[in-house]
Amino acid sequence: MPITPDHAGKAYAPTREYEVTRGKLAEFAAALGEPLVEGAGPVVAPPTFGAVVTGPAWDVLFTDPELELQLSRVVHADQQFRYHRPLEPGDVVTATLTIAKVRVRGATEIITTSVEVRDAVEQTVLVADATFVHSREASA
Amino acid sequence: MSSLPAEVGTVLPPLTFRVTRETLVRYAGASGDFNPIHYSDHAATALGLPGVIAHGMLTMGLAARAVTDWAGPGARLVSYGVRFTRPVPVPDDGVGAELDVAGTVTAADAETVTVTLDVTCAGEKVLGAARVVLAGSPA
Repeated sequence: MPITPDHAGKAYAPTREYEVTRGKLAEFAAALGEPLVEGAGPVVAPPTFGAVVTGPAWDVLFTDPELELQLSRVVHADQQFRYHRPLEPGDVVTATLTIAKVRVRGATEIITTSVEVRDAVEQTVLVADATFVHSREASA
Repeated sequence: MSSLPAEVGTVLPPLTFRVTRETLVRYAGASGDFNPIHYSDHAATALGLPGVIAHGMLTMGLAARAVTDWAGPGARLVSYGVRFTRPVPVPDDGVGAELDVAGTVTAADAETVTVTLDVTCAGEKVLGAARVVLAGSPA
């Protein structure tokens, strides 16, 4: 059985702890064309760095055998980050994904997800809501 | 917020970004997003796309730079949301794609400033409802 609207509400276990490092922030900022200052990365994560800490939770969704999704058939439809506080080097965080809503239109599955990113003392750092469109292969 | 020129209607300095396959490879590695539609024409065309497209999150991240460059380190991000309304094809032709980012302050109150972003590729809007809400840094 592929993904259905009944999967709304499905919650996954938190991902493994991820430590935000200055080097990773610098690498990410450089990928967005920001000039690298030698020996120093950003002291606060760029706005979309939330996707780096959320990504492992998205990977869990896309590889859930129950849903029969293929990453190569997924496009991103919308994205929202709500920051309770900035992500900073030294933060150790986990990401917990919940499927909020699933709509099926023929071979197209529209999946709305919410990921809560929490720090080592279980405080919410950010919430990342995303909608993905999965186009199921006709022959699958 | 006193540090930000926050009147409604304030226009942010525009930014232009050149996005090539190298940009996509670099972003894939930095972000961990290895969806093959961002590096394989075969995978992209199988999905009905014209060819490899940019990561939506790359476009979103580049667009945010117009805001962070303008606001400086004193501002704190409250929220940032976009809809990916049109894919950004990045052909492997040595030219790639060009993204133009414009931003305008569309709301401001005692605590927050809202910037609405207008992001286009070849004159076509690629992000919808692109809004960044900032607050002043905590004292």
